Amino acid sequence: MKRSKARTRPRQATPRPRKKTAPSAVPGAARIARPPIKVLVANRGEIAVRILRTLREMGLPSVAVETAADRDAPHLDQADEIATLAGGDGYLDGAALVAAARRHGAQAIHPGYGFLSQSAAFVEACEAAGVIFIGPSAAAMRMLGDKRASRAAAEACGIPVIPGASVCESARDAARAAEAVGWPVLLKAAGGGGGRGMRRVTRAADLDDAFDAARREAEAAFSDPRLLVEKYIAPARHVEVQVLGDGREAVSLGERECSLQRRYQKVIEEGPSPGLDERTRRALGEAAVRLARRAGYRSAGTVEFLVGPDGAHYFLEVNTRLQVEHPVTEWITGLDIVAAQIDLARGGGLPAEPSPCGHAIEARLNAEDPYRGFLPSVGPLLQVEWPVRPGLRVDAGVRAGGAVRPEYDPLLAKLIAWGADREQARRRLVAALRETTVLGVATNLAFLVQILESPMFCAAETHTTTLEESTWPEPEPPPEAIAAARRALATPHGAAAGDAGPGDAHSPWIVADPRGRFRP
Amino acid sequence: MSGAPKPPDPAPRAPRITVARTARGVWVGWPGGARFFAAEAAEASSGVGAGAEVRAPMTGRVIKVAVRPGDAVAAEATLLVLQAMKMEYRLTAPRAGRVARVACAEGEMVELGAVLVVLDPAEDAR
Repeated sequence: MKRSKARTRPRQATPRPRKKTAPSAVPGAARIARPPIKVLVANRGEIAVRILRTLREMGLPSVAVETAADRDAPHLDQADEIATLAGGDGYLDGAALVAAARRHGAQAIHPGYGFLSQSAAFVEACEAAGVIFIGPSAAAMRMLGDKRASRAAAEACGIPVIPGASVCESARDAARAAEAVGWPVLLKAAGGGGGRGMRRVTRAADLDDAFDAARREAEAAFSDPRLLVEKYIAPARHVEVQVLGDGREAVSLGERECSLQRRYQKVIEEGPSPGLDERTRRALGEAAVRLARRAGYRSAGTVEFLVGPDGAHYFLEVNTRLQVEHPVTEWITGLDIVAAQIDLARGGGLPAEPSPCGHAIEARLNAEDPYRGFLPSVGPLLQVEWPVRPGLRVDAGVRAGGAVRPEYDPLLAKLIAWGADREQARRRLVAALRETTVLGVATNLAFLVQILESPMFCAAETHTTTLEESTWPEPEPPPEAIAAARRALATPHGAAAGDAGPGDAHSPWIVADPRGRFRP
Repeated sequence: MSGAPKPPDPAPRAPRITVARTARGVWVGWPGGARFFAAEAAEASSGVGAGAEVRAPMTGRVIKVAVRPGDAVAAEATLLVLQAMKMEYRLTAPRAGRVARVACAEGEMVELGAVLVVLDPAEDAR
C-alpha cells in the first residue's frame, strides 16, 4: 500500500490574514462568498509552481506532492503543506493522491496537465472520496477527452472533422483505414495528446513498426494503448480556442496559434493567431463554445483546430484540462485561468467574454538537443538564471542545484512575452532568451532564438510542418565562449573557476572541432 | 566641432559568458546559447577497435532489445529502443555486421555514453 505522511512547512515570514471567504478572483464573475478550500496540487514542475502561486494569492491553503524523485523540487516551496508519496508511481497513483488529499484535509485536487489530468477514472475516484476534482466532470471528460467520442460530438455540433479516425485494433486495421482515406496518415493515441503515441506514416511498409511504437508510447503515457488513424493534413495552422464552462454555459477566451511544433509537440505559441481572418476567428470561437455547451463542460478546456490555407477548418481534439500554453491567453485577457477553474469548481460563475489586448508569445525551454535529433538531456542543473524585464513572465519548474530526470517531460520553463503588437512581443521574448542561462543539460535555447529571429516567424508564415521543413544549423559559439571554455579546461576540475575574462581565442593549443570537442 | 569633446569610439562590450566546470568538461553559456565542451577526446578514444560500439545517446531506460549475440544485422537495423521523458528513441546499427555483445537488458536504466551493443563488421567477422 502506498503511504503518505503529512508534513507541515513553516509559514512564510508574513502570516496570511485569515479570511472566512475568498472573493472571486475572476473579474466579471459574480462575487458570491464561497467557503475557502484547501487544494492538493497533484503535479510537479512549472505547472505545480504556477497553480500554487494562484492558491497563495487567493488566500487558499495548499498541499504539494513530493515523490522520491522530486526531493527539494521548487514546487514544494510554494505550498503550505507537503504530502510525500512513498510509492513508485507518484503523480500517476490516483489512489495515493486521493488518500493524501484526505489525510491533509484538502477538499479539492488540481491535477495540472499530464499525469491524471485527463483520467475520467481519477475524477470518479475523487468524487467517490468526496474530493472536488478541479476540472470537468467524468462524463464531460469522456465525451470530449476521448478522441473518437469528441469527434462524434463535434460532428453532431456541425463542426467539420478530419477524414478518417477509426480506432484500430491492429496494424492490419490501420492499413485498411489508411487505404480508405489515402496516405499519408497520422496515428494518434485515442487517450491523450502532447505528441505521445503519435506517428506520421507515409507508406504501408512503415505502418507495422510505427503502429507498435505508437501503441507502446500511448500505453506508457496514458495507460491506454488505443490508436486511431486520420488523414494527414498539411500545410495547416494549428489554432486552438480556450473556453471556460460552468456546466451549462460556456465562454470563449479567444484563440492561440501553436503551429510551430517538433514531433507534434508545441515549441512556440502565440495569441491572437496572426493567420486568421475575422470570419474564421468568429467561426472557431462559436464552434468551441457550442461543443463545450453540448458536453455540459465545466472548468477550462481547449478546442483544437487545423486551419487550411483557404481558411477551411477541421476539428482536431479537445484538451479537457489546463494547457501548458494557457499563459498566452492570460497575458492578453488579464484573466487568471487557474483562479477561474478554482472558482468554477466551487460553483462560481463565468467571466464575461474578454476582448484581447495586445499580443503574447510563449517559448518552451526544453532539456533537449535540437541539433541532435531533439534527444532529451538529463543531468544536474549547475547554473540557472531567468531574466526579469518589462512585459515578461517566466513560469519555471527548475532551479540551480536541481536536476533534470528521465522520468518526467523535458520542459524546464516557459517564457512568455507581451507586447502592444506582435513585433514588440517578439523582440521582448528574444531579449529575454538572450538573458537566460541554463548550464548542466543541453537545452533548445539557441533554437528558440533562431526560430523567433527567422524571416518565417517575423512574417508569421507558420505551419505545423514549418520547423521540420527548414534546416536549423547549430549556431557557432562566440569567440569569447570558446576562449572561456579553453581557460576552464586548462584548470583542473575542482580548482576554483574564476570569472570569464578576456582570453586569447587564437591560441594554438586547443581548437574546437565542429562538434564542440577540443583537441590539442 | 563646436567645443564639445568628441566622445571616444564606443567599444562593443564583450558578451556575458557563464561557465560551469564538470569532471568531464565544461558548460559555457553566452547570450542566447550554451554548449558543453568535453575535456579532450577522452570518451571518443575508448571505443577504438575492430568492432563498433553503439552507445547510449541519452540517459534513459532500455525498453526493447531487438538483437541477440551472433545475430547478423543490416545497416540501420533496429538494435534496441530507449525511452526517456516518455518518448521512444530507436538505436540502429551504424553499419552492417554481427552482434558481438549486448551490454544491456530490457528494463535497465543506462547512462549517457554507456556501451549498449558491440558489433563486429560484416564480412571479416569470422
